[in-house]
Order: sequence, then structure tokens, then C-alpha cells
Amino acid sequence: MITRAFLAIFLFLLIGLLGFFAISLQNDDMQPIKTQEGKPLILDRELYTIEGMKVDKESLFSGKIILNVYASYCLPCVIEHPFLMEIADSKNVKIVGLSHKDQIVETKKYLEKYGNPYDFSILDLDGSLSLKLGVIGPPETFLIINGEIVAHRIGVIDIDIWNDRFEKYF
Amino acid sequence: MGTSILWFSAFLCVLIFSFSLQRKSHNLAKNLIYANLGTLFIGALYLGYQFLSDNFSFVYIFQNSNVLLPTFYKVSAFWAAHEGSFFLMIILLSSCAVINNIAMKESRYLSLSNSVIAFILFFYLIFLALTSNPFMIFEAAPLNGSDLNPLLQDPLLVIHPPMLFAGYVFYAITFSFVIAGMFTDFDKELFSIIKIWAGISWFTLSLGILLGSMWAYYELGWGGYWFWDPVENVALMPWLAGTAFTHSLIFSKNKVLLSWMVFLGILTFLLSILGSFIVRSGILNSVHSFASDPSRGVFLLSLFALFSLVSLGAFFFRSNFLHSGWPKFMSKNYLLVLNNIILMTILTIVFLGTLYPIYYEVIYSEKFSVGPKYFSELITPAVFALIILFTLEQFPKILSMDKLKASLILIAATAIIFIINYFNMGLLLSGIFLATLILKFILDLLNNESVRLHKLFGHLAVVLLTFSVLLNHEFSKNIDFKIKPNDKVEFMGTSLIFKSVDVVPNKNFDSVVGTFEVEDKGRNFNIISEKRVYKVGSVITSETGIAPYITKDYLLVLGDRYKDGSWSVRYSIKYGIMMIWMSSCLLLLSILYGTIRRYDY
Amino acid sequence: MIDLKNTFRFLLIFSFLIQADTLYEDIDEDELERLEYLADNIRCPKCSYGNISSSNAPISKDLKKEIASLINEGYSDQEIFDLMQYRYGDYILLDTNIEDNKSIFLIPLMILVISILLVTTYTIRKSK
Repeated sequence: MITRAFLAIFLFLLIGLLGFFAISLQNDDMQPIKTQEGKPLILDRELYTIEGMKVDKESLFSGKIILNVYASYCLPCVIEHPFLMEIADSKNVKIVGLSHKDQIVETKKYLEKYGNPYDFSILDLDGSLSLKLGVIGPPETFLIINGEIVAHRIGVIDIDIWNDRFEKYF
Repeated sequence: MGTSILWFSAFLCVLIFSFSLQRKSHNLAKNLIYANLGTLFIGALYLGYQFLSDNFSFVYIFQNSNVLLPTFYKVSAFWAAHEGSFFLMIILLSSCAVINNIAMKESRYLSLSNSVIAFILFFYLIFLALTSNPFMIFEAAPLNGSDLNPLLQDPLLVIHPPMLFAGYVFYAITFSFVIAGMFTDFDKELFSIIKIWAGISWFTLSLGILLGSMWAYYELGWGGYWFWDPVENVALMPWLAGTAFTHSLIFSKNKVLLSWMVFLGILTFLLSILGSFIVRSGILNSVHSFASDPSRGVFLLSLFALFSLVSLGAFFFRSNFLHSGWPKFMSKNYLLVLNNIILMTILTIVFLGTLYPIYYEVIYSEKFSVGPKYFSELITPAVFALIILFTLEQFPKILSMDKLKASLILIAATAIIFIINYFNMGLLLSGIFLATLILKFILDLLNNESVRLHKLFGHLAVVLLTFSVLLNHEFSKNIDFKIKPNDKVEFMGTSLIFKSVDVVPNKNFDSVVGTFEVEDKGRNFNIISEKRVYKVGSVITSETGIAPYITKDYLLVLGDRYKDGSWSVRYSIKYGIMMIWMSSCLLLLSILYGTIRRYDY
Repeated sequence: MIDLKNTFRFLLIFSFLIQADTLYEDIDEDELERLEYLADNIRCPKCSYGNISSSNAPISKDLKKEIASLINEGYSDQEIFDLMQYRYGDYILLDTNIEDNKSIFLIPLMILVISILLVTTYTIRKSK
């Protein structure tokens, strides 16, 4: 009978659909936006620190570097800051800050208040440098080894994220 | 105490289910149904009381309320989030069962419907009690709540969700009667019951969708009213199936393709459950994501699996008892079947577009988007196909011609539509159809032919809606520019003057208010756009200024301030928005009238 | 009376430090249409809903500015989409490509055609 044939096909498709849903539920919650992991570091212009000094760009393309994007107006950045201070103390790695669309005066006040874990902070007044780099918004943390982004965290970084994604490179 | 109410109610449902299936205990079942509603009502009052008395020891109340929240919103917070909204649906479902039992005399349909409803209620209650209990209590009671999501503190968004939930619940009732008929038979009495419930469901769901769209336009303020976001689509799918269902009642009444009607009744119900799963399980990222929780997702999927397999399985076994006569070629019934096929195609498009990202993610482990273009480009020609069908149906002389000629005309008309659609002349086309329908109406009136008003106005509303949507899409434009106070800008024949910008403090936020003056061929008015900085959490929101008129809407969004004192501003002129709302309302009125009127189709 | 110092501090929140004079550097009307088209079809990376045209998020506005300068630099629409896709993944593209995703375009068409054929065949057959 036609109805039964139709229903049989429909039920078959339905079970397939249920299977897909079941598999999809198992997947960990993925971040919709791709991180920049696996991509080369892109710094398309001359860089200056918040002190006004020119940055030696070449130095950022060799060795192990942590690049942390922050801003004085970014509340979650305050939350992750103590962890960054800890990393600066305990790990032997260069930490560079990227001040994202922030006024120099405010950035300096922020660092005075919460501490400065960075070797220096790169100035990015209009956010275009961050944009080219693939930053969505602070806080974000990159681990760059020899010019390649090997780990990228979009959001607050803490000990769990660190152990999960960053620790293996140390 | 609240949790025990849920369990007790679930227990009652088991009793109702078994007693409704036995002839001798029908009355007992009915009384239990009343008792069940009473129980749930007590639970609702209990929860409501906790809201009004600021009892934050309840997790749900903590998450959705606050001491400072106005009383109106404390009440609406009941259904603000997942647990409460599900509880609301349960209460609604139970109330409808009671209404059925009061309004209808003893009939086997009623008992079967009662047992189906009890079946559904039972599993909903178990789900609620086990994974989404609104009565959960903290060990240590906090002093204040975290507040109702500011987006929800808005009248439109207070009423839009319950309207949608009511639509889903009513379709569950309709489903119960379809199942009842499936196990007995479909006579005139059952058809009139189904017709009324289907009409109520269709009206409510349509209204719910319309309200959501209006909220998106006026409150989110980005100038759009539909984004083909998963949560919007998930309400649209049962609506499409429901529309096909209502149309199928016309031919199935005459024993044509009865099993197809049954299938649609089941499908509409299943799609609304699927909707709950997609929205509440976190499987798709979207603007409405209720706080998602994996265990909840598993349970909801199981619910969907259970209901779909049981109902379709039962249908499979009963299908031999249902009459499935075929229509006559090129008859009115045949055109209605074509209508159903096209509606099902549109449903498939929405379904695929919404769920393809999930499929993609499972296969390729990467997130994927299906944007609005996919939907609008595929659905537009389908809508025109529907318009041809119902316009042609108005001219029976064409249909009663030689069948071969008639089908050739149909095919030719469709081909022309596709060609014109390709050349982007949809606006012109919809105008032509509009004129045709109106002229035919006038002709019929003059010839004293009977006119089915709900059908005429419903279809006219569809053409008007298509026209307005196309108008909006074709002619609306936006522009971003930089402007200082007292500057003037020209755009699309209108001029915009930035009059002033002021800082205005408020109770829980400060706002920067930009006042603009628009001049458009004699029309002169002010628009205000604000940026608000909320004192708690420093959240910054942008309030779009909207000046609505019948054919045009003027929108203004204040942006960022530059060092030199100028501001970035986004100015849009949207066409046809009011017309979209008006044609939707016309559609709603037609549905309402069609449901209430006492004659046959 | 509005406290002037607070007003100034408050307005500072919205102050945007930019050297350029116009919102989008020297872009003419044709290119403006391209910009609107591109912005309508790039998803806002930070929001769960919406394209960069409709979003008020800072990144959306920054991206729109970047697209404007890319247009000025002579990039084609496809190149701009490719750049966005490289940077943010497939998720960011809203203009669903027919070549890469044939199934979602073909399945509805097939269902339509097959259903009409089946129904018509049965209808005619049963009328005899």
C-alpha cells in the first residue's frame, strides 16, 4: 500500500535524523569561530609600544611568545590578569601585551592598578592590527612558536584552559 | 512541595490514560482530568507566589527575578526561561483537556483524545521533574536574584512566547483528535471538532510568529523583521505543516487522501516537539538559546523519538483502515493537493536550511552557516507557484476545460513565473495577481456569486504580504556617515539634520540621546536614538529610533563619537514595513473568521 | 544641572580615536552597494544572530571598515569573502554557495518534482 511505503521511507529518514542528533549532542560545545591555530602570525605594519618605542618585529617571529590581547575597558581581562601574572613569574616565556583600542593613559593606569606581566605592550589604537591578526575582542591569548600560532584562546584564560591547550608546549 | 505536585500529576496522568481507554471508567477519567488541572493550578499558584514574595531560595526565581523588578515582569518571569515555560505548556495542555471535557458530550473521540493528551502530559511532567524542575531549591538562600534578562523586560516579549507555546499546545490537542479518528473513523462530527481546533491552533501560532517578528523589528532595531535564524524557522515549520493540514481538511472531508491529512496532523505536532528540542538543547547556536544543558538535550531528543516513533508506528498499523481515494485530475481537490505539495517543499527548504549546519558539523567537524539568501531565493518562486494556484482556482471555467489544455496552461504559467522571477520582476507580478484577485471579487459580487470571505481575504493577504516583502527588499536602503551637531545630510530624497546630543541620567542607566530632524517632501518630524550605559555591568545598548509611516519607515542608529565631536550614524529608509504588519493582520483575521464561521468549506 | 566633568568622562566612553575624516574613505555609490552586499553576507563573529550590517558590536563596525578599505584596494567580492573565510572559518559566510552544497538546493527540487509526478500519475490512473 502506498501509505505504508511512504511511511516506511519516512521512518527510515527519521531514524537517520535521530542518529545525527544523538551524535551531535555528544560533540563538545565548539566555538563557532575558528581560532587562528595553525596559521602564521600576521603583523602587517610597524609596531610601537604604549611607551612610544618601536618594537623589533623580528623578535616576535622567533622563539616562544605569549601574546595577550587586553584593554582597560574589558572586565573579563581583570579576571584573567592574576593568572597572567603567575605565568609571567613561573614560566620562562616572553609575554607581550596588545592594548586593544584603548587610550594609552587608561592602559597605563590599568597596568599600574593590576600589575604588569608583559615585557611590553603593543599599541593598537583603532583595532586594525588586531583585526588582521584575527582577534575578535579582548581577552584573547595566543601562543606563538617561531612565527606560527600553535594555540589560541578566545576568552578568559585560566589554569584549566592552560593545562588543556598551552601546557604541552612547555 | 512543588516537585511532589509534578510527580502526583504524572501519576494522575497514568490513571487518566488507562481509565480513558476503558468504557466503564470514562467518567472517572474525566474527574481525574479536572483533578489534574486543579493540582497543576495549585503548583502554578505556588510558584507564582514565590515570585511575588521574592523567594530567591528557588533557583528558577533567582535566575529570573530581582527585588527591583516591577510586579508585571515578576509575573511574566514565570515563563521567561526553560523550566517555567515548559511548566506553562503543561498547564495549558491540561486546561485544554478540561475545556474539551466540558464542551463536548460523551463521545469515543473524547476519551481517545483524553488518553493521548494524558500520554503526552505524563512524559512532559517526568521530563520536567527530572531535568528541568522549576521548584528546585538552593541549599543556602541568596538574598537577591540576578534579574530578568533586560531583553525580556518588554511587553511584546512578554506575550510572544506564551502565544507560541499556546499554538504548539493547541496543535497537540488537534493531534489527539486526529489520532482518535485514526483508531475509530472520521465522521462529520470529528471533522468539525478537528476543524475548530486546527483553526484555533493555526491562528494562535500565526499570531505568535507575527509578534516575534514585530519584536525583532521594533526592539532589536536592526531594520529587519526576519533573519531565518534557527529559532524563527523552528516556529515556522509547524506553521507550514499546519497550513497544509488546514487545507487538507477540505479534500479529506470527502474521503480523498484521508491518510495524508492524518499524516499532516501528526507531522505538525512532531515539528513543534522537534522545535523544542532544537531550541532548548543547545544543538544550534542562536539568539534565543535557553540556558542549554546536555542532559536536557538527551531527554528532549528521547521525547521527540518516543512521540514520533509511537505515533508514526501506530499510523503505520492503522493505515489500512483509512480511506485514501485520489482526486480527479485538475479538480479543485487536485489543486489543493498541489498546494500541499508546494507547502511541503517550502517546509523541506526551511528544514534543510536549518538543520544542514548540524549535519555539516557532524561530518566535517566545522561550524557552518546557512544565510537568509538561501531561504529567500528558493522560497520566493514557491510562493508564486502557490499564488498562481489559488488565483487560477478562482476561475473554474479554466479548470473545467479539456484536461490537457488545463494542465498545459498550468505548466506555461509556472514557466512564465520562473522566467519573471529570474529577471527580478516579482513586485510587478504580485501586483498583477493582487489586481486579478480584487477584480474577480468585484465581478463575483456584481454577479451575486457566493464569495468565501475567509478564503478570499486570506489569499489576498498572502499576495499583499508577498508584495510588501518584495517592496521592502527592493527599495530599502541604508547609509553610514559621520555627522556633527547642526550638520545636514541628504539621502534618498530626504534630509537629515543632527539637532543635538544630550546626556540624560536615568535610574539604572545613563543615556546619550541624539535628536535628529527628518524632512521628506513636506513631512517633518524628529527621531531620537539613544546609547545606554547600564550602571550594573557597564553594558552598553543601542536604542534605534524608528519613525513608522504607512509606506516608509525611517530608522536611525547613533554610533560612536569621534575626537572632533562628530558622531557615526546609520540612517535607513525601509519601505513597506507597515504593509507587512497589515497584511499579516488581514491573514490572521481571515483565519479567525474561517474558524468561527458555521458553514461548510 | 548636568555635571560637566561627568558628562565629559561619560562621552569619552564613546570617543573613538581615529585619524580618518570620513566614515569610509572615499567610497563612491557603486562601491557603497558592494559594501552593503558584502556586509549583509558576513556574519557578526561575536553575536549569535545577525550580519555585520545589522550588528552594533565593535568588531562588526571594524570589519565593515576593513571591507571598505579592501574594496578601495581593489579586492573583488570573492577575494573578500575568501579572506574572511580564511580568518574566521565557514561559519562567517552567509551567502551559501550552491556548488559546494548542492544537496540542500537539489533535494527540495527533487521532492517537488517527484511528488507532483507521482500524484498526477496516480490521479490520472485512478480516474480511469
